[in-house]
Amino acid sequence: MSSQEINDVLPRRKSDDETDLDITPMIDITFLLLAFFVMVSKMDPQLPVDLPPALNGQTIPDKTAVVLVVLKGEGDDDYTIYKGRTKSKSDAVVGDDAIEQEEQIAEYVENELSRNPKIQVILIKAEGDVKTGAVETVKRGVAGSELGLTRKLYVAVETTQ
Amino acid sequence: MTDKDKNDNKNPESGLPSDDSPSESGEFGLAAPTGKFGDSSQTDHPGGDPPAANVSKTSAKSPGDFKQMNWKGFEEEEEDPDPPVRFEKDTETEHDDLDMTPMVDVVFLLLIFFMVTASFTLQKSIEQPPSKIEDPSTNVIEDPEDEDDYVEVIIDQTNTYYVTSRDAEEVVAPSDREMRDRMRDAKRTSGAPRLIINAHVDSMHRKVVTVWDAGNAAGFDQIEMRTMEEDY
Repeated sequence: MSSQEINDVLPRRKSDDETDLDITPMIDITFLLLAFFVMVSKMDPQLPVDLPPALNGQTIPDKTAVVLVVLKGEGDDDYTIYKGRTKSKSDAVVGDDAIEQEEQIAEYVENELSRNPKIQVILIKAEGDVKTGAVETVKRGVAGSELGLTRKLYVAVETTQ
Repeated sequence: MTDKDKNDNKNPESGLPSDDSPSESGEFGLAAPTGKFGDSSQTDHPGGDPPAANVSKTSAKSPGDFKQMNWKGFEEEEEDPDPPVRFEKDTETEHDDLDMTPMVDVVFLLLIFFMVTASFTLQKSIEQPPSKIEDPSTNVIEDPEDEDDYVEVIIDQTNTYYVTSRDAEEVVAPSDREMRDRMRDAKRTSGAPRLIINAHVDSMHRKVVTVWDAGNAAGFDQIEMRTMEEDY
């Protein structure tokens, strides 16, 4: 007599359990999708730099590096050097003369390295379309700092797989 | 959770044996005469509402008779010494199950986070020798004929490559690919350990990086960089 009633009750119980179980993976997936899209849309708050491609590159501790960014300007010969990762006017290196720019870069590198002596890396993030002379100006500026000469100098590239 | 409690509750009420009905009914049967019912119901239903329902069940006569009919049939089967312990175990396993889900969620989220941050570090770097703080014009003119053999790649103001080594003629390489091939040939024939990149200041940084990258791939021990300001 009771076995008949078991069959009546058990399915109802099962369906109750199933409705409980259905919510959890849905929430999981929702969170995962949320995380995915948050990452994809807002991953690069730094200013975009069109780095030159290369096959062989080293991974360096980018987060703890003195970074100098060289961006191409409107004209062919125009370029702007930024001290640091951000594209703010106050960080731009001013001066038409390459020697003036080198002095500013040397001062910036010297200040940064004396403030954080643990930094071992100086990274130049130069766009591929920038002229070699502009990158050379930055390099000479780094070499103008005494502390800068004791650190390793890198040029950022984008690895193409 | 609460649904399940209700289910556990309903089965004895309707007198229907379920999967774990022997222990349940046993508990019920034992507890009702000895007056331990309150304790067992507390362990059974920590929610609060179900115990009241239980009490009403036992106090009400007409459903009580119905129940007793069924309980009698089962009382012979169960001789369990201490059913409350079993019940506590059951509730514990339920708690364990509940703890897993958010933990797994968080673990997956962390996994995704680190995967994403790792895959976004596409930026790599090429090490450069420190620039010599001499007058660049004098630096360029001096001939790079030192002790070692070398392969030299010149990038002129129109971004054209010229590959040359100590013994070989200068070869024009209009494309990146050709420059790579020429450089590899020059490296193989001369066996030179040094690569000298001589770039015009108006050449593109992209080209310098390409040559440097090709030099790394070709296996040069030492790569030097010079710049020239005169047109080549």
